[in-house]
Amino acid sequence: MNTIFQLVISGLLIGSVYALMSIGLTLIFGVLRVVNFAHGEFLMIAMYGVWAFSRLLGLNPYFAAIAVVPAMFLFGALVYRIVIGAALAKPHLVVVFATMGLSIFLQNVALMAMTADLRDVPPIFARSISIGGIFIKGELLLGFIVTLLCTVILQWVIKHTFLGKAIRATVQDGEAAKLMGIAVPRIFLITFAAGSALVGLAACVMVPLFSVFPTVGLNFVLIAFVIVVLGGMGSIEGALLGGFCVGVVQSVSAYYVAPAFGQLFFFLLFLLVMIFRPNGLFGQKGAATLGMNE
Amino acid sequence: MTAMPAKPGLLQQISGLPQRGHMSWFEIILLAICVAWVAFGIAPTFQDVVVLSFLFAGLALAWNIAGGCAGLISFGHAAFFGIGAYTSTILFLNYNVTPWIGIFVGAVAAAVAGAVLSLICARLKGPFFILSSLAFAEVARIIALNWSSVTGGAEGLSIPPVPDLANMVLGSKTAYEALTLVYLLAAYAMTRWLEASRFGFYLFAIRDNDEAAAAAGINPLMVRSAAMALSAALTGMGGTLFAQYFLYLDPTYVISPELSFQFALLPAVGGLGTAVGPILGSFLITPLSELLRANLGNAAAGLHLVIYSAGLIVVMLYFPSGIAGALEKLKPRRPQR
Amino acid sequence: MTALLEVQNVSRTFGATRAVDNVSFAVQPGELLGLIGPNGAGKSTLFNLIAGVMPPSGGQIILDGTKVTGRKSYKMARAGVARTFQIPKPYRQLSVIENVMISAFLRERSVTAARDLADVTLSDLGLAPYRDRPASELTVGLLKRLEVARALAMQPKLVLFDEIMAGLTPTEVGAMTEIVASLPARGITVIWVEHVLYAIMKTATRMVVINRGSVIAEGTPAEVARDPLVVKAYLGEEMQLA
Repeated sequence: MNTIFQLVISGLLIGSVYALMSIGLTLIFGVLRVVNFAHGEFLMIAMYGVWAFSRLLGLNPYFAAIAVVPAMFLFGALVYRIVIGAALAKPHLVVVFATMGLSIFLQNVALMAMTADLRDVPPIFARSISIGGIFIKGELLLGFIVTLLCTVILQWVIKHTFLGKAIRATVQDGEAAKLMGIAVPRIFLITFAAGSALVGLAACVMVPLFSVFPTVGLNFVLIAFVIVVLGGMGSIEGALLGGFCVGVVQSVSAYYVAPAFGQLFFFLLFLLVMIFRPNGLFGQKGAATLGMNE
Repeated sequence: MTAMPAKPGLLQQISGLPQRGHMSWFEIILLAICVAWVAFGIAPTFQDVVVLSFLFAGLALAWNIAGGCAGLISFGHAAFFGIGAYTSTILFLNYNVTPWIGIFVGAVAAAVAGAVLSLICARLKGPFFILSSLAFAEVARIIALNWSSVTGGAEGLSIPPVPDLANMVLGSKTAYEALTLVYLLAAYAMTRWLEASRFGFYLFAIRDNDEAAAAAGINPLMVRSAAMALSAALTGMGGTLFAQYFLYLDPTYVISPELSFQFALLPAVGGLGTAVGPILGSFLITPLSELLRANLGNAAAGLHLVIYSAGLIVVMLYFPSGIAGALEKLKPRRPQR
Repeated sequence: MTALLEVQNVSRTFGATRAVDNVSFAVQPGELLGLIGPNGAGKSTLFNLIAGVMPPSGGQIILDGTKVTGRKSYKMARAGVARTFQIPKPYRQLSVIENVMISAFLRERSVTAARDLADVTLSDLGLAPYRDRPASELTVGLLKRLEVARALAMQPKLVLFDEIMAGLTPTEVGAMTEIVASLPARGITVIWVEHVLYAIMKTATRMVVINRGSVIAEGTPAEVARDPLVVKAYLGEEMQLA
């Protein structure tokens, strides 16, 4: 009985970290209606950044947020300017290939620059915290707290600032938003950059938990997709809940079934959602049938 | 009432540059060169690349039926490739069924899988469809990797390298060139046939506007499933040919996202929805990626891919209609017939 | 004479909104029924219900004596109901003739026969000069004509026109009105939703007026034009009622 509890709690915690890295993707997905296939590589770049910052300055990776989050914001803006913005005007296949190409590009640049060696930071917490007999890694708990804080702040921004309203308007109807005087291309740019910044934040929390190597993004991007789809395109609460689901499913199935099959359950879960609730738990109705920029 | 336009003679119907629904001299010459290449045994040093170029041209044409003609952009076609390859190979190794028959059984198995994918994605469009196809292929890959008793698991399956025409193990590379060329021509003929048939028109209709198609009496789900099944079957056959050439199936390559990506990339670069586009895409990219890998792969790990992917991004942004699209723009505006 | 189409107590709700509220009417073969009403009255929703785009929340739809309630759009098309789209939906990468051929395939199996049927339809609608142009190159007016061509190539029993006049020049309106008026004589029954009232008022044999999801008047164009409820519903909008 205790085992199940332990598994569920661990699942929820790791799920929150997964959610944090997915929030950027769902925002971009919701506003630009574009799947950023290079999302995993953005995470990988950010993770290298956090690792390097931490190594160079001898500091705790969490402090890297000060540098990495703004750097990722700029990186996202740059990528948008050079690649994404131009691709949006073309048939939608172009964005797909452009982001996939970007993914391969970034993976191999990292390979050339950093080699395939795994990079790690030393553990932050000496040992796991024990709460009522359940063992919780300190790094995980911190990740959970950061995610919750981030979600709350984001929700506030979305609901109470003009930018947030502009974003919501663009998600619901880009054409109407344009007619209302919202500079939609600028919203796209800001959203893409903000999504990248969020990935930077996620990296700070993830580097203490996972090793960094050039193809680390591949492991996480599929998880992020499942979370975004489960939670509903464009929904932040959805990403959080989706993250929890995925974390628990992974945690429980990896223990009771062979770890190799853990991934299988993900994808089956994904396909089931696609069949029965393609709009996810919190997504807009009809989002799945809208597809791309229409 | 205006008079019906007079039907032009057969030779007049052949245009200079590629055009949907008409043969063109461009294609006739291109395919004639391919046949001559094989018949006269040109350039023996490049035979590996030629076999792969022909094979991938056929695979690109197969993907194009779903992706280019019907608008079903799938990044999971490696699943069908793998199903075809594994089916014929397992039938051969365990039940002594010749791959000349196994190739068709594999095609049927892949077609069924294609129909299943289509049903799963019945209500999906755009990125959701793409992601579902990716997930589908990943499920197939994980099964292939773990169902060791049947698929050989991570070790894969090997076919004895004993030349045996009756079992599709050919003695010379030239023979494989001929085999893959036949595959290419069959896929090309299939595409041309589609363009001129009612079913093909239905594919274009659901691609361009499936609401209007439904209002015209077309059942979108049926047409989509049929297109996907056909595309999957052809892809599966390519899988069998691959297995019979390399004589080894490695699940991490055969059902990989990289391979799925390749199947979509070649038609996109060559020109979606055209008959000649996928061929051009393969003839350009297959040798290029082999060349890059051979020359730069050793210089610095990953350099060839950096160049390859950067090139890809540039091509996509500046030539979104592919090579065939660029050719189309070269044509002078034809007087209406 | 059995009605070609019967709409019985049909309703459609979206969440809390009753877009169509207990609507009933019948269309006889050979009629040219006009369906009018102010913006937001529910005409398009009613249209989509008949065409099979969505099922009604309540009520029945009967086509030629058979219940077709809830049948999907492609089945309605096969049963002989053709429709145009208010915002034209052409097959952009296909040529004009190919656009019409797709519809013609409902009646002709061979490509040659479908092409011939399409050619005839195109010349009936004056679209023959644009035969081989890609549909993406046409102006709005021509696209609307293409919509009509596609509907007619299906050789339907019943055709549903959705605001085919919007955006047309007066000359184009005149030409289109003539085409629509000729349909009953060809055995095609018409239900026509329209805002350009002067066109519909002089062609329709009978009118149904919808407001806020319900039928508020029925009768000949003249009767309906005089009906105080109808005038009131349109008050505030610039419309020529005669």
